[in-house]
Amino acid sequence: MLEILREYGLMLLVGEYPHGKLGGLALTLIISIASLVITFPCAVMIALARTGQSRPFKAVASGFVHCVRAVPLLMLIFWAYFALPIVIGFPIDATYTLILAIVIYQAAYLGEIIAAGIEGLSKGQMEAAKALGLGYIPTTFRVILPQALFNVIPGIVNQLTTIIKESSLGSIIAVSELSYVMLQVNSNEVTKPLQIFGILAATYFILCFALSQATSWLERGIASKRTGRVVVEAVA
Amino acid sequence: MIEFDGVSKWYGAVRVLRNISAKVEKGETIVLCGPSGSGKSTLARTVNRLEPIQEGTIKIDGTDIHAKSMNVNALRTGIGFVFQQFNLFPHLSVVDNVMLPLQRIRQQSRKEALPTALLMLERVGLADKANALPADISGGQSQRVAIARSLILKPQVLILDEPTSALDPEMVGEVLKLLRELSSEGITMMCVTHEMGFAREVSDRIWFLRNGELTFEAKPDLFFSSNTHPDVRGFLSSIH
Ligand SMILES: Nc1ncnc2c1ncn2[C@@H]1O[C@H](COP(=O)(O)OP(=O)(O)O)[C@@H](O)[C@H]1O
Ligand SMILES: [Mg+2]
Repeated sequence: MLEILREYGLMLLVGEYPHGKLGGLALTLIISIASLVITFPCAVMIALARTGQSRPFKAVASGFVHCVRAVPLLMLIFWAYFALPIVIGFPIDATYTLILAIVIYQAAYLGEIIAAGIEGLSKGQMEAAKALGLGYIPTTFRVILPQALFNVIPGIVNQLTTIIKESSLGSIIAVSELSYVMLQVNSNEVTKPLQIFGILAATYFILCFALSQATSWLERGIASKRTGRVVVEAVA
Repeated sequence: MIEFDGVSKWYGAVRVLRNISAKVEKGETIVLCGPSGSGKSTLARTVNRLEPIQEGTIKIDGTDIHAKSMNVNALRTGIGFVFQQFNLFPHLSVVDNVMLPLQRIRQQSRKEALPTALLMLERVGLADKANALPADISGGQSQRVAIARSLILKPQVLILDEPTSALDPEMVGEVLKLLRELSSEGITMMCVTHEMGFAREVSDRIWFLRNGELTFEAKPDLFFSSNTHPDVRGFLSSIH
């Protein structure tokens, strides 16, 4: 195992870099964080539509959420990888394809988490904002979202672990993230799958376990100064 | 100033306000009382359209406030509303709570709004708590902040729905004292409360609701006299 780490450790961390494209754990992290950052505003919009007053927005948002939740992520990746280039007429880099698929997929799940955060606030918060004569924008951005998002921070961090695990599906479309790199190592070293995939599993485990510890630490911290009630629903 | 004319409201098939007609004159303090579930909160909340009505009209200075053409946010900036549960914004400091309407409705900068907000906090005796978070002040102080926030845009009307019911007994006095001062300064006030001492000493008239109906309306002298409505007598003896 140590041998493999000695030989392929750098590759595991950064892929071919600096001689080739960045890959490995670094790419996994970049893809995951970029996906989360791009997903976030989409998820907020979906949550606002889901919890808002406008029927058409509500219908579109809940239609989207239900569709996405009814298909596997892998299928979205196939669509983005094989079908989208035909539709738009030019190919997209596989890494961007993967990020796009994760963003679409996670927007639905993160949207539901944020919506739960909004619905978990006491009704009095919305009423007090209304009674002051505040319009939609200040009510949403000064009163509702700051509290709802604060309360679902653990759910958001938790979603990052899900995204990290999901990014391993990139190996299927040859995105040189962590899993793909280790698959390559395995085809070089045909006789050591136990060690190679043991290292792969351990890497994911350390990363995701640390994040889930951080999640529960955040949960405790937030519970102690929670602003209004909330149900944090970990949808994975 | 506020004119209810044949106001009725249903929740589904349940009628919770029945043909209410009454007037509140400018500067008057009205106390609404009656048994639990009689429609006091609902009636109070129709005045700033937190609750819609299905029949009748409510006019403020002659304007039908439930008309479709009415700008509901403009209406609400002219009416202060105080809730039983305070409903302060817990993520904002006391002074930020009070300032928010100045910033977001009057479009003032923080710097412009701050002196007005501090003056208002001083008015309710809480200038020293300006930077505290709502979680760090008492119930009585919270309600005074909520009152300051509801008054920051200088509304003509102040509506309070059981402002002291969620308070520990020792904090009721400080809130009632403030309301008494506001009442004597001439704001038009409608206050739902079970504090009969307050009703007797501060209100100009008392409205008694029962089963969604405005059964009796009188000045405190008559209301608390032996010639009062029989239902009121029963109600008064039930809460003492
Ligand atoms: N959101 C609601 N849905 C259905 N019924 C309600 C609702 N709010 C209040 N009610 C009913 O309306 C009646 C009047 O309620 P309310 O105005 O709160 O009474 P009060 O403030 O005098 O105690 C009660 O019978 C109550 O059960
Ligand atoms: Mg009530």
